[in-house]
Amino acid sequence: MGNVMSASFAPECTELKKQYDNCFNEWYSEKFLKGKSIENECSKQWNAYTTCVDANLIKQGIKPALDEARQEAPFERGGAQSPQDS
Amino acid sequence: MKLFQNSCDFEYPWEQVTAANWKKYPNAISTHVIAVDVLRRELIDDGNKLVSERLITIKQGVPRWIMMMVGGSNVSHVREVSTVDLNTKTLTLKSCNLTYSNILRVFETVKYSPHPEDPVNRTLFEQEAQITAYAAITKICNKMEEWSVQRFHDNAMKGKKGFESVLEVVSEHWRQREHYVDDLGNSLVNKVEDLKATAEDMMQGTEKTSSYIFSRNYNIFKAAFKQGET
Repeated sequence: MGNVMSASFAPECTELKKQYDNCFNEWYSEKFLKGKSIENECSKQWNAYTTCVDANLIKQGIKPALDEARQEAPFERGGAQSPQDS
Repeated sequence: MKLFQNSCDFEYPWEQVTAANWKKYPNAISTHVIAVDVLRRELIDDGNKLVSERLITIKQGVPRWIMMMVGGSNVSHVREVSTVDLNTKTLTLKSCNLTYSNILRVFETVKYSPHPEDPVNRTLFEQEAQITAYAAITKICNKMEEWSVQRFHDNAMKGKKGFESVLEVVSEHWRQREHYVDDLGNSLVNKVEDLKATAEDMMQGTEKTSSYIFSRNYNIFKAAFKQGET
């Protein structure tokens, strides 16, 4: 589609992110939406990209706030706030 | 706490809208979003549900006094967890700000679903935001005052230390070289003028570290007294 992909918050991860995004977007439209996939693909690109991201979350000091938010609104709850908070 | 609600339609099928959601940024309108990263992504329920955690990085003009108060960066982060559910045909995005969260918390929920009136061709967008400010205005004022006082104090200390280090050097050399003073001539007078200017500079430019000031002025003195000796 010639779309410009978004950058990563860490410039050194942007290239890895683009590679992952390309793979993911293809998988999403061609397989996931059509109900043809029972596997989260693109794991090779994913591993390279998230390794870079995880290191930079720590380096840039984002991790503590992120961990707090994760506790408050867990991934497992789809990002909904935990009941004790409300 | 304040609640914000909004809804609108998109003239595209739900599937297309959800695919476009991953490519939403960059776009020409939302230039404040400078980066989007996926932190975690899992396919569950036999491939019918895709859950993603993303980090959205935003750069925007925050009022300067807010920036001063919260630590001085205009880059902020939002965490978002989204779920694409093929069974219910919904894409739900739940997000909350990570930055400034001790002052203001915005919990946003966005839902995309096939439009009830035209499920095949149109998509309904529903948005809700819970906005909670934790700081009362007096608290913000106190915080600003505290910050300002502390900052002023720190800078003043730096200025004093810097100037003191200079004075130390001056008086030391002064004691040693008292008898030369009269012979120093114009060049020293000039250097002293330089020093005065630097000292004034120092009193104003409070960010300079004492060691920097010291070394800077130390050289001026060294040069001045060398000239005095010869």
